[in-house]
Amino acid sequence: MAETRLWPLRRRANPYVPGQGISSVDARVRVDPGKANTGSSAGRIEARDVTMTFETRRGTGLVEALSDLTVSIEPGEFISLVGPSGCGKSTMLKIIAGLLQPTRGEVLIDGVPVRSPRRSVGIMFQTPELFPWRNVLQNVLLPIDIFGHEREYHTERARQLLNMVGLSAFEKAYPRELSGGMQQRTALSRVLVADPAIILMDEPFGALDEFTRERLNLELLRIWEEARKTVVFVTHNIGEAVFLSDRVVVMDTAPGRVDAIVTVPLARPRTVQDMKDPAYTNCIFEIREYLGVER
Amino acid sequence: MSLKAETRLVVPIEKPRRNLWRRIRQRPEVILSPLVLVVFLVIWEWVSTSGLVSPVILPAPPKVFRGILTLVKASWFPQHLWTTTIETVLGFCIAGASAFTMAVFLHQVPLLRRVIYPYVVTFQVMPMIVLAPIFVVWFGFGITSKVVVSVTTAFFVVLVNSLAGLAAVPENSLLLMRSMVATRRQVLFKLTIPTSLPYVFAGLKTAATLALIGSLVGEFVTAEKGLGRLLTQFSFALKQDLVFATVIWVGVLGLALYGIVSFLEKKLVWWR
Repeated sequence: MAETRLWPLRRRANPYVPGQGISSVDARVRVDPGKANTGSSAGRIEARDVTMTFETRRGTGLVEALSDLTVSIEPGEFISLVGPSGCGKSTMLKIIAGLLQPTRGEVLIDGVPVRSPRRSVGIMFQTPELFPWRNVLQNVLLPIDIFGHEREYHTERARQLLNMVGLSAFEKAYPRELSGGMQQRTALSRVLVADPAIILMDEPFGALDEFTRERLNLELLRIWEEARKTVVFVTHNIGEAVFLSDRVVVMDTAPGRVDAIVTVPLARPRTVQDMKDPAYTNCIFEIREYLGVER
Repeated sequence: MSLKAETRLVVPIEKPRRNLWRRIRQRPEVILSPLVLVVFLVIWEWVSTSGLVSPVILPAPPKVFRGILTLVKASWFPQHLWTTTIETVLGFCIAGASAFTMAVFLHQVPLLRRVIYPYVVTFQVMPMIVLAPIFVVWFGFGITSKVVVSVTTAFFVVLVNSLAGLAAVPENSLLLMRSMVATRRQVLFKLTIPTSLPYVFAGLKTAATLALIGSLVGEFVTAEKGLGRLLTQFSFALKQDLVFATVIWVGVLGLALYGIVSFLEKKLVWWR
């Protein structure tokens, strides 16, 4: 019972394999714990010349949202996409998630081209998207319900996750009773309960105040240190991107392209103290220069 | 630990003293609202007794009250009340259930929805009540024609509201469900329908009143029983006190239906 590790993934007793998502099998099939997992998903993402063009609203022309984006993301890497609004960050995230198909190019996850969403990829938005008729615990268990898994086993894990994000006392509360920060913590637990290999975060804390955002960033970092999942983090806060990431993809508008991919020279595990490190500040300035903020 | 800091901020507020005068000052409408009714009744009484208006045209409130009692005591009254009630409830339930089902179906087949929607709007804008004479010819003088009028009157507001509700699902919620590879059925039952419920109930509350209007107008056309029939009958007989009494019974029936729907809404859409 005194389970402190939240990722008891390497033990045989568990009905799922690391990063496989709980199941990649169709939801209607009740999965036998032992047999469900074929192959393993490490969480490597390769984007090759991803180009995305949208038709303008009146259908009068084409707008390029992404042009020839190529990036390779290692399993367990924390990578950020930064850039001004409209540079195609969110579009890229949706393409990785399989929610959008690129006009040209392709994204491979562990060598397999992404054609549709998969359960080993979790996504989190700027809005928590909690269902108001479900309480916190039920919201966290949503993926379990969708996957068609037994709630009993996963309820315990959901409680551990809520404990980890400091919401133990609120598992019976309803979303409207929670602050914005608590709602996003719930959303984070909901992503984690599905045990994805890859977590995509679209400005997850962008709507929160500075203090809450900073605290949640620290919590995210702590969770990531423990779980080592691949995280793709979209933000327009350069400092946040540098503090959290191994590498920062600097993007620019018109048409969404990659200016540079900056490797953050800070060691892991990171603490708030790292923000005093000159390397941190230098890295921020480097990215600013790429974005042309200095001129 | 971060939670403690948040809970500590809750400071107990001093309980307000149970001072009647103070409470009235804080919420004057508690007194003023009933007062409006009293003033209205007093003016009514004054107008009908002063000779400005003939008492045959406008009976005084006490006479109307006696009329209500007459109706309650009359052995023939319950069947009329019951007939209108059953017509309205049947009409409401059929309209509500079929409109919601149709909305879900149309929502699932977007092309069909786009094809049908102009007609839905047209029918909603048209007062369906004008069809009452036609339906009486088609479905006879009995209860059926009134139920049909009631259904057609109440149907479209539920349909339009349900369609709006089903379409009100946030884009990101849908993306979230898609990212989890949810089936269509799961999206429908776990997200779309719950999201639509507040809208559906807004429609149902309007529909409750419309269903009542439908059955009454149906009865106006021709009927053997029902409050609408009583209204026309009393009116022809110049029994204005009984007309007013019946009108008040209609009001009670309408309020009761609305109350039941509101109660169901509070139970089913409790998160709102």
